[in-house]
Amino acid sequence: MTAPAGSLLCAENLRKAYGPTLALDGAAFSIHPGEVVAVMGPSGSGKSTLLHCLAGIVPPDSGSITYDGRELAGMNDAERSALRRSEFGFVFQFGQLVPELTCVENVALPLRLNGTSRKQAEKAALGWMERLEVDDLKGKRPGEVSGGQGQRVAVARSLVTGPRVVFADEPTGALDSLNGERVMELLTDAARSANAAVVLVTHEARVAAYSDREIVVRDGKSRDMERAL
Amino acid sequence: MGVRFAFTGGREGWIRVLLTAVGVGLGVALLLVTTAIPSALAVRHDRDEARLDYTYGPKRPKAANTLLISDSDTTYHGDDVRGRLVEPEGPKAPLAPGLSKYPAPGEMVVSPALKKLLDSGDGRLLRERLPYRIAGTIGESGLVGSQELAYYAGAKNLSPRIDGYRTARISEFGHLDGTTSSNSMDPVLILLVLVVFAVLLTPVAVFIAAAVRFGGERRDRRLAALRLVGSDTRMTRRIAAGEALAGSLVGLVFGTVFFLLGRQLAGSVEIVGVSVFPSYLNPAPALAALVAVAVPAAAVLVTLFALRGVVIEPLGVVRTAKPRRRRLWWRLLLPAGGLALLAPMIGQGRGHGDFNPYLVIGGVLLLLIGVTTLLPWIVEAVVAQLGRGGIAWQLAVRRLQLSSGTAARMVNGIAVAVAGAIAMQMLFAGIQGEYTKNTGRDTTRAQMQVSLPQGVDFLPTAAKFSATKGVRKATALGSIDLGDRDWRRGPNTTIPMTVGTCDALREEARMTSCHDGDVFVAKGGDNDADVAKLARSGRTLHINTTNGIGPGKDAPWTVPGHLQQATAITSPIGMRTSGVLLTPAAVPERVNRLLTGVVYLSVDKSVPDAQEHIRNTAARIDPLADAVLWSATERSKQFDSIRTGTFAGAICVLALIGASLLVSQLEQLRERRKLLSSLVAFGTRRRTLSLSVLWQTAIPIALGLLLATAVGLTLGAVLLKMVGVSLGVDWSSVLSMTAAGAAVVLTVTALSLPPLIRMMRPEGLRTE
Repeated sequence: MTAPAGSLLCAENLRKAYGPTLALDGAAFSIHPGEVVAVMGPSGSGKSTLLHCLAGIVPPDSGSITYDGRELAGMNDAERSALRRSEFGFVFQFGQLVPELTCVENVALPLRLNGTSRKQAEKAALGWMERLEVDDLKGKRPGEVSGGQGQRVAVARSLVTGPRVVFADEPTGALDSLNGERVMELLTDAARSANAAVVLVTHEARVAAYSDREIVVRDGKSRDMERAL
Repeated sequence: MGVRFAFTGGREGWIRVLLTAVGVGLGVALLLVTTAIPSALAVRHDRDEARLDYTYGPKRPKAANTLLISDSDTTYHGDDVRGRLVEPEGPKAPLAPGLSKYPAPGEMVVSPALKKLLDSGDGRLLRERLPYRIAGTIGESGLVGSQELAYYAGAKNLSPRIDGYRTARISEFGHLDGTTSSNSMDPVLILLVLVVFAVLLTPVAVFIAAAVRFGGERRDRRLAALRLVGSDTRMTRRIAAGEALAGSLVGLVFGTVFFLLGRQLAGSVEIVGVSVFPSYLNPAPALAALVAVAVPAAAVLVTLFALRGVVIEPLGVVRTAKPRRRRLWWRLLLPAGGLALLAPMIGQGRGHGDFNPYLVIGGVLLLLIGVTTLLPWIVEAVVAQLGRGGIAWQLAVRRLQLSSGTAARMVNGIAVAVAGAIAMQMLFAGIQGEYTKNTGRDTTRAQMQVSLPQGVDFLPTAAKFSATKGVRKATALGSIDLGDRDWRRGPNTTIPMTVGTCDALREEARMTSCHDGDVFVAKGGDNDADVAKLARSGRTLHINTTNGIGPGKDAPWTVPGHLQQATAITSPIGMRTSGVLLTPAAVPERVNRLLTGVVYLSVDKSVPDAQEHIRNTAARIDPLADAVLWSATERSKQFDSIRTGTFAGAICVLALIGASLLVSQLEQLRERRKLLSSLVAFGTRRRTLSLSVLWQTAIPIALGLLLATAVGLTLGAVLLKMVGVSLGVDWSSVLSMTAAGAAVVLTVTALSLPPLIRMMRPEGLRTE
C-alpha cells in the first residue's frame, strides 16, 4: 500500500507483539489534515496499540509510519518526544490530569513543556478552557471536578499547543452519554476549527459517528470502512 | 473482612501485605534485638566473671588443687587475643571454663575464632607468635563471644615467675569470695545509654508507623468501592483497621523470623569488638510480649488516625476531606513537655546524684516524637509559601501542597534519627574531655613499648628489636627502686635506679660524657631531695624485692664512688625523674637479675605489619613480654564502647529508614504509574519528571533536617546542662550527621530513578 496523496500521518504494514500476544498484524492507517478518523474494534483488537504506534509512544516491531513525510522509526526518543510535545495532542479515557495541578495549570502544561512562559501558557490555556466551557474551573484541582468536566479540561490540554494531530483514546469511555456527546462535539468542533486531524479510538458507534471516516481493527488487522449513509 | 481483603487482593494485595510485613518485620526484629541485649550483656558478664583468674590473690603453696597461670594477652591487627599459659600442679587443679583438660607443654587449646584465624593466611604472623600445637578448642562456656580470640597454652616451670601480677598460683576460677561484682556505671554513662536507646528506638517506632501505611491510596479506593455496595463509614474504618492488623501480624511473624535468622547470624559477626553466641540473644519475655501487643495495636491506631482526614464516598470517589489546618499548639506540647521533664535534672551532673531514668527517657522521647508532630506542620506551612518555578519544581511543590503529610511522614524517621544523633554527638563531644586523659607519652620519640618480665636480660633485646622489620630505633632500659632500708620493713625513702647503655640513658638524662662503667646521679626531676639524701657514694641502699605476693629477701647495693652528675630530662613516657643511672658495666649480676626491662621502640609505620613483627619478637624473647602501642591520649573504655555502639546503632537505624523510604517511594511511584506514562506520552521529558521526584523528596528532607538540627541542638544543650558541662557545638559533627541524613535521601532517590524510568514507559498506558 502506498501513502494516499496529501496524507499527514500514514502507517503501513504495522506489526507489534507483546510477548506471545500479537497486537498488530499488518495494520495500515492514514489521515489527512483536519480529518477525523475513528479507529473502531472490540476490546483487545489492537486499537490502542495502533494509536500508541502512530503517536510514536510505542515503536512497532516492523512496518513504517511517516508523519509529514518524516519516518518515525528514524527518530530517536528525544525527537519523538519533541514531536509529541509540539505537533500532537492527547486525550485519554480517564483524562490523566495531574492531580496536584489546577485545571488551568494542567491545560498550560504542554505549552510550558515547550518552553512557553507560565503567564503566556496560562493565558492561552484559559482561552481554550473558555472554548470548551470549563473556564470557571480554572482554579480547581482535578479531584474537585466531575468526570465530564475533567475530560473537557483534558481536551483543552490536547489542543492548547495547536497540534496538527490529536490522539483520543476512548475519550468518552468513562462518561455518561450526555457528557460523552458534549465532549465529542467540543473536541471535533475545536479540532476542525484548528484544522487538526483527530485519531479517535473508540468501540462505540455513537462516538464514531463524529468522525469523517472509520477504520476497523480486528485481530491486529485494519480495514477502511465506507460510511453508511 | 479487612483481614480477608489483605490477602485476597490478588498480586497487588499480596505485594502490599508483603511490603508492610517486611517493613514491620524489620522494625520488630530490631525491637526484639533490643529486648535481648540486656540478657546478652548479662551472659557475657557472667561468663567473664566465671573465668576470672585473679593473679594478685593470697600467697598459696603448691598443692594438688593448684594451677599456675600466666597472663599472656596480646593484640593482633587491632583485635585483643586473650592468652593464658597454664601449668596444673596436681590432679585437682581447677579447670578453666570451656576446657575438658589442660594442654600439655607445647600445646594449646584455642577458641573457634582463633583457630579459624590461625588456619587462614591472615593469621600467619600470629601463628609465628603462638608456636604451640593446637590440641583442642575452648567450649562456649569459656568464651564471652563467638568471635573472641582466646587460647590456653601448656607451660612448664612457671613457679619461679610468680609475681602476683602476671603469673600466679590459683586454686579456683571466678571471684575469690564466690560473689559476683556489680558492674556499676558512672551516672553520666548511664544517661548516655538511656539516651542512646531512646534515640535509636524512636525512629524504629516511626518506621513501623510508616510501614503500616504502605499502599494507603489504593486501599482508600478499595474502601470507596465497599461504600458503593453499602458499607457505612464505620464499617470501612473497621475493614481498614483489619487490613492493617493483618499486615502487622504477618509483620510480627516476619520480624520473629528475621530475628531468629539474625540471631544465628549474630554468632558469626562482631560489632565494635563485641560478639555474642546465638544462645545469648534471648528477648526478655515481658518485653517481647509488649512488642507482640504494641506493634499490632499501633498499626490499627495509626491506620485509624490516617483515615481521620479522608472522606470515603461511594461511586469510586475518594475525596480527601477539606484538610483541616494543622494546629501548632498541641504539636508544641510534646517537645515542651519533653523539656519540662528534663528540666528538673539540669545541673545534676556527676557527683550530684543519679538521673531519674524515667524522666530522662520520657523527656528525650517526647522531644524526639515532637519532631514527628512538628514536621508535618512545618512542611505544610513552608510549602504553602513556595513560589512558582520550573515544571519539575511546580509538580513537586503542588504534590507537596496537596499531601504534605505523606511527605513529612516519609522523612520523619530520618529527622528523628538525625536529631537524636546530633544531640548524642554534642553530648559526646562535651563530655569526652572528662573521659580522655593525656597519657603524657611522647609519641614522636617512640610509638611502642615492650615491658619485659623481671629477670629477662633486657640489654640484648635492643639488638633483637633493632633487627626487627619496621623498627627504626630500640631503646632498652632496666629499672628498679632503691630504698633506704630493707623492703621487708618498708623503706622510708625511695629513689629509682635506671640501667642502660649511654645512648639509652640519654633518653632519660643529659650527660656531658658517658662511658660504659659510669654511674650518674640525675637531678632536676621530681624527687631531687630524696636523691640528694640517698645517692651518696658509699651508702648502702636496698633493692626493691617486693612483688604482688610480698617482699623477697633483702638485696643491698652500695652506691659506688665517682658519681657523675646528670640532668633529668623528660623521658619518652613523659616523666622527668631524678635518680641513679648506671651503665651496664657498673651493674653487678645479682642486681641485673632483679631489674625489670622496658624497650621503647620507634616504629616505621610505612612497613606493613610492623607492630605484629615487633610483638612476635617480644613473644620470642619471652611469651609474657607485653607489647603496647602508644597513643598521646586514652579514653575510658566504657565511654568508647558507648560511642562506637551509638555509631553502629545510628548506622543500622539510618539504613533501616533508608530501606523504608525506598519502599514507600516505590509504592508512591507505582500508584502514579499511569499518570507518569501519560505525561511522557504527551512529550514530558523524563528529566523533568525525575527532577520533580528529587524536589519532592529534597524539600521535605531539607525542612526535616533543619528541624532535626534545631531539636538536636536543643536536646544536646539540655543534656550537656544536665551533666554540668559548658555548652559547645561541634559543628563538624552536626554537619556530618545532617549530611548522613541527606545522603540517605539522595541514595534512595538515586535508587528509585531506575524504577521511575521503567514506570514512565508507554506500557503503563496499556489497560489490557
